[in-house]
Amino acid sequence: MTVKHLTTPISDADIAALEVGDMVYISGEIYCGRDAVLPKIVRMTEDGSIAGTGIQLEGGVIFHTAVSPAGVGPTSSNKLEIEASIAPLSKAGIRLHLGKGALHSETVDALGKYHAVYAVIPPVTALLGALTQEQKVVAFPEEGMEAFHSLKVKDYPAIIAAAHGRSIYDD
Amino acid sequence: MMTDGIVSAVKETLITAGSTFSEDKIRAYQRAIAAETNERAKWVLETILENGKTAAKNRTPLCDDSGIPHIVLEVGKNRAVTGEMLDAIYQGVAEGLREMPGRPMAVMGSDWERIDQSGGLDPDPGALAPAPLLMHYSDVPDRLRVHIAMFGGGPAIRGKTYRVFHKHSAQVVKDEIVSWASEAVAQLGCSPCTLTIGIGRSHYEAASLMLKAQVFGNHDVQSEAEQEITRRVNETNIGVLGLHGDTSVLSTFLQIGPQRASGVRVVCMRPSCCFEPRHAYTDL
Repeated sequence: MTVKHLTTPISDADIAALEVGDMVYISGEIYCGRDAVLPKIVRMTEDGSIAGTGIQLEGGVIFHTAVSPAGVGPTSSNKLEIEASIAPLSKAGIRLHLGKGALHSETVDALGKYHAVYAVIPPVTALLGALTQEQKVVAFPEEGMEAFHSLKVKDYPAIIAAAHGRSIYDD
Repeated sequence: MMTDGIVSAVKETLITAGSTFSEDKIRAYQRAIAAETNERAKWVLETILENGKTAAKNRTPLCDDSGIPHIVLEVGKNRAVTGEMLDAIYQGVAEGLREMPGRPMAVMGSDWERIDQSGGLDPDPGALAPAPLLMHYSDVPDRLRVHIAMFGGGPAIRGKTYRVFHKHSAQVVKDEIVSWASEAVAQLGCSPCTLTIGIGRSHYEAASLMLKAQVFGNHDVQSEAEQEITRRVNETNIGVLGLHGDTSVLSTFLQIGPQRASGVRVVCMRPSCCFEPRHAYTDL
């Protein structure tokens, strides 16, 4: 099992070197969102209103999670609104989508097309708490725990589940 | 037990349910880790077990989806349950949700605002209403036991309650359960699962039996049928988090209730996630 370390912003070279099945440790600033807020972020990339907000999608990571006093942990990335965000946000610069569950083949193809990958993270909320150094709301605070958050993290563990048009679920 | 004692006992029970692996579950994980041949799956199993130890030590949630409280009351013939006691139990649930803390995920607003989630979320973790309480008659005369099981959202997405035409063959029902479970576990993303299953005469009865399976099931005590279902789903090679391997399912907890004179059985199958059943109990 190959182990790699990734720090945001993630470069195209980092992505090119990743293979399905690699274990990765992710550090740096990452974004968090799920069903309620990701469609809104997608719309902001499409109408251009994301410019000037300070949100830096290029090289970024989006973790499919709520952020609450209970902690963080992946929700199912194949939920309709979440999976629908993966292609447009990859096109807008996100390089790694972090969640859980199998994705449809169209999404896996879109990840490959836009030089992005999908990784699954164990739902280990108690351990992730110790690896989370900071958290803040970035946009849509009215969504509460489902607002668009950023986290500063150190060595979040994950396994690359889709990259370069291949999915670990298809093997 | 006086009201304050009930509130305190139920509060601690809820926190235990949300933060602590049972002893039989720890043993089930240890067996799975020893038997797992897929390197990545073994690492994830070890990480999940480590998460369980950390959550129990800190008495914090095993998962950020800390779950909807489901209460089962076991009542023996010498005991009585009063409205005042129920009030104290609900108060204990609310205090437990605040102290753990549970995820503040009570949806506010009118009926349809709660449906489309346009009324916002209550920031108070204790505002989360428990599911309707289930009463179970105990053959232990002096028992008054409060069980709490915390139900996460992922298994609710992938679970299923539906009729099965059994064709007068138990094997047909088992085959259908294996088929449902194989599809559900593959989609869930938070395997290894414990399959919790109820078979009854109505959707309500099947679901209530599934809840009883959550609170009465034991990883160390598995019937022949439970072992068969577990083995067959594990043969699918879905594996931990869907990453393949030997461990898609740790165990199966099955409750079979009374059945109707009919060609139909109603089956409720919940692919309980890697942390579920999140269950604890206290005796009042």
